[in-house]
Amino acid sequence: MAKPVQAQIFPRFDWILALLVAMLMGIGLMNLYSSSMALGEDLYITQGVWLGLGLGLVTASSLLDYRTYERWAYIVYGAVVFLLILVMVVGTRLNGAQRWLNFGFFMLQPSELMKPAIILVTARYFSDLPHKVDGNDLKDLIRPMMLLFVPSSLIMLQPDLGTSLMVIFIFFTMVLFEGMKARTIVGMGITTILSAPLAWSFLLKDYQKQRILSFLDLEKDPYGPGWQVRQSLIAFGSGGIAGKGYLDGTQVQMGFVPYHESDFAAVNWAEEHGFIGMMVLIGLYTALIGWSLHIARSSRDRFGMLVAVGVAAMIFWHVFVNLGMVLGMLPVVGLTLPLVSYGGSSVITVMLGIALLVNISIRRHLLR
Amino acid sequence: MLAKLNSRDELESYSGRFKWLFLAFVLPFALIGARLWQVQVLDSHEFDRRARNNLVRTVEIPATRGLILDSGRRVLAENRPSYDVYITPRLVRKEPEALDLLQRYLNLAADDIARIRKRMEEADGRAFLARRDITRDQVAQLETHRMYLPGVEVRTNSHRYYPYNELSSHTMGFMNEITGDELESRQAYGYRPGDYIGRMGLERTYEAILRGSPGLERQIVDARGIPQGEEQAEELLGHYRRVEPIPGRNLVLTLDMDLQRIAREEFNYDSGAVVAINPKDGSVLAALSVPTFNPNSWTGRLSHEEKRRSDNNPFKPMIDKTVQAYFPGSTFKLVTAAAALNEGFITEKETLECRGFYEFGKRRFHCWNRVGHGREDLADSLMHSCDVYYYKLSEKLGMDTLARYAYMFGFGERAGMGINGEQRGIVPTKDWHRKHSPGGFQHGLTLSTGVGQGDTRVTPLQLALSYGALATRGTLYYPRIVDHIETADGRKQFEYPARIRRKLDIPEEILEEIEIGMTSVLHDQTGTSYENRLDYVTTAGKTGTAQVRGFDQQRLGDNGEIEYKHRDHAWFVVYGPVEDPDIVLAVFVEHGGSGARIAAPLAMKILDRYFREVKGIDPEAARARAIAQRRRGPRRLRRPDNREEPSRWERPSDDSRDGESRDYPIAWPPPPPPTNLLD
Repeated sequence: MAKPVQAQIFPRFDWILALLVAMLMGIGLMNLYSSSMALGEDLYITQGVWLGLGLGLVTASSLLDYRTYERWAYIVYGAVVFLLILVMVVGTRLNGAQRWLNFGFFMLQPSELMKPAIILVTARYFSDLPHKVDGNDLKDLIRPMMLLFVPSSLIMLQPDLGTSLMVIFIFFTMVLFEGMKARTIVGMGITTILSAPLAWSFLLKDYQKQRILSFLDLEKDPYGPGWQVRQSLIAFGSGGIAGKGYLDGTQVQMGFVPYHESDFAAVNWAEEHGFIGMMVLIGLYTALIGWSLHIARSSRDRFGMLVAVGVAAMIFWHVFVNLGMVLGMLPVVGLTLPLVSYGGSSVITVMLGIALLVNISIRRHLLR
Repeated sequence: MLAKLNSRDELESYSGRFKWLFLAFVLPFALIGARLWQVQVLDSHEFDRRARNNLVRTVEIPATRGLILDSGRRVLAENRPSYDVYITPRLVRKEPEALDLLQRYLNLAADDIARIRKRMEEADGRAFLARRDITRDQVAQLETHRMYLPGVEVRTNSHRYYPYNELSSHTMGFMNEITGDELESRQAYGYRPGDYIGRMGLERTYEAILRGSPGLERQIVDARGIPQGEEQAEELLGHYRRVEPIPGRNLVLTLDMDLQRIAREEFNYDSGAVVAINPKDGSVLAALSVPTFNPNSWTGRLSHEEKRRSDNNPFKPMIDKTVQAYFPGSTFKLVTAAAALNEGFITEKETLECRGFYEFGKRRFHCWNRVGHGREDLADSLMHSCDVYYYKLSEKLGMDTLARYAYMFGFGERAGMGINGEQRGIVPTKDWHRKHSPGGFQHGLTLSTGVGQGDTRVTPLQLALSYGALATRGTLYYPRIVDHIETADGRKQFEYPARIRRKLDIPEEILEEIEIGMTSVLHDQTGTSYENRLDYVTTAGKTGTAQVRGFDQQRLGDNGEIEYKHRDHAWFVVYGPVEDPDIVLAVFVEHGGSGARIAAPLAMKILDRYFREVKGIDPEAARARAIAQRRRGPRRLRRPDNREEPSRWERPSDDSRDGESRDYPIAWPPPPPPTNLLD
């Protein structure tokens, strides 16, 4: 350790991760340029600014050892929960949901920040415990479950089913990775199944129920909620193997697919670049997730490992649920496609995750 | 801090799980990949078709309806641009407030919006016509709020317009929206909901000629239904995306709007009709039915109030009285006189005595002149309209012979103008009376029939044509109101020739004698219409006062006058100039009273203005010529040039004489089927 840590950052910089992220960002911007044409708004410029900010965030946060975040995990978590409560009181309502804090120049969506926060706090909790090779049981899970329950219900109440599910999925992916006893898994599964009808009657809002119902029967109401997915499928299908060509998609360019700049960004990509384009996109995500797991595996401590697994899970669940949704395999929940969909909050969230990966990656060979 | 650092071994214990986790991540992606393969590769074709369906909208290009022109090519019916609102149901359904906004901007009534909603459920995805002829301000409103009204579109269509308004309302007819039943029966002709269809007059009869056939265009539209540029359309659809509409053909009529206007201006009674024809070819020069209506208000949105007022009008404005049958009164004496002379029961010089009544069996048949006319020859009898003279002739002729001659003159059969459900009228025979009269046939009925007071009914059109046969010395024409059909660019496509219905089986000399009598009606000092004669042109005419009720049955109203419905019909039929007639004018004033006092002055006023204003005759010069001509002695018999061999008149079969008018399609002149005219 001749040189200070900071001086060792550059040579150890994770170029593969950077390349993957850069490629996804490139696809995202290129796709958003097409969406901007369709909308007549220069969204790609705004997105570029956000991505730039995100890169700055990555650089800045890499300077601090991620173990600083380990120490601050509960405080970060607490701060985000506070923001979630704040949003309930003074949040801005848009489209029937109270999700945003208005800061004048931009709208912050605290539920998005909960994704990295839950990763940090879960990783912190488990890295504090001695590792049990035969897995945790229910008793060990009560406290982290409390950590999950508070924010996920707050988000559910906004209401924001998609983000709430993301937080839950990320959490359980990490918990399962950490290990759980077989009977605990079975018990929790049964509880979930039993509580589903209760959630249906009391927890879900009408429009959420409608989305799920319309997913179950796409053809039932061609102009209702299912319309969006039907048009999305038409865009996918008509794109064919090679796509209709850049900026030549008819479904998106002529406005048949709403939200093609944000949640349905994959539709535009698929229509213009076809099956091949989609394979490239999925390939990049697979590589990114695989590389994240590689970083996790080679990280120098359990915290880093769990955080990297959490980030991989976050990316995985976003990609899977988003694509499943636009392809009509899953109900429509508002979820973005990482680095491709338009939106500041989404970009910042994903970049925070990437920042953590970079941080862990740089330091995996240090102080081994 | 370091204490928390986990041992490598501890971390190694996780290494098995990465494999599983990676697998757990990749498998769902494989699932997504499989789905992509299914959607983008296997089913791509079907989705591609649906993507095209999304974009392609088939728009109907309406054909311009043909014009209707009068003989001087003045426009009687044309098309004016109107702003029409179209709705694409698929797009409006997505935006529930759009209809409310539409209702507000267009100021629609609740039932209008209900109708639109209903139409939206029935529609087949194509844009349909929701509202016709909105104002410019409303167009501006819709354009301003276009963002909130997806699927609502304003298109400029053409709307039927009649520049002469009510002047020839019944002949023109009007148009309104096609009904559901009609749509079903006419689907093969390409009618669509919301289309307008001719409802009356020429608009109805010549619908197939006037309408043309709509074209189609496939357009590229975006999700809001807004059409995209030409380039895009060509790229996605290729070149063949438009079928041009075939414009409707124009009708050029025989009507003369100058004469029509004169007739309208002079006709100042509540109800009646004026028909003017050219005796030489049967062309209808004017056809007026009073009261008139404005076809412009009936075409399109007729308010309930207007409809109600029209329905309650006791003078029945929606009935074309030129083709309705009425009692003819003394105008029928033409037939009786011709029959008696031709059958040899009397010569023109023989006289019969009128003592004011005629004793027949136990009944006394009165002359209108209760004092009596004394001894009268044919000319006197016509001049004075002596009834007794004709009672005596009728008695000799008998009911069926009278009927035979009535048929010969074209009564009892449709004249065949082809519009407005023309009635055939009634020519009673013995058989007819046995079937229809309460007491069966009695010989007394023959007498009243001979003076036009029986059950005989004739239409003003038939009457004008029958006098035309007199004016031409025996040639009865079919009426023709459409002179020819031409394409939208003015090429003549089909001409309706003058058609002779029959040559009367009566020698010209006999007809000339009748004409002399009828000339005396106007030009003899004792003639019934001497006061109304024109002093610069010789005309021949006959008055008619048709009793609707017997004198003893006429009820008096509150004001001491005879109740309207019980008053006599006033008739006057006249043609001229006698030397070379070019107009026959039949004037009918329903319940107008005396033919001589009411109808004759009216008819002669119209005729006077026709000769002066339309034909441009200078009365002074004409007067001199007429005097000179009269000095030269009786005029030479004219021989009309016959374009076609006449069919000999045949006695009509009994079953065609039941006198009931049925509304079946007119035999002649039938509009030629459109397929013959497509070139």
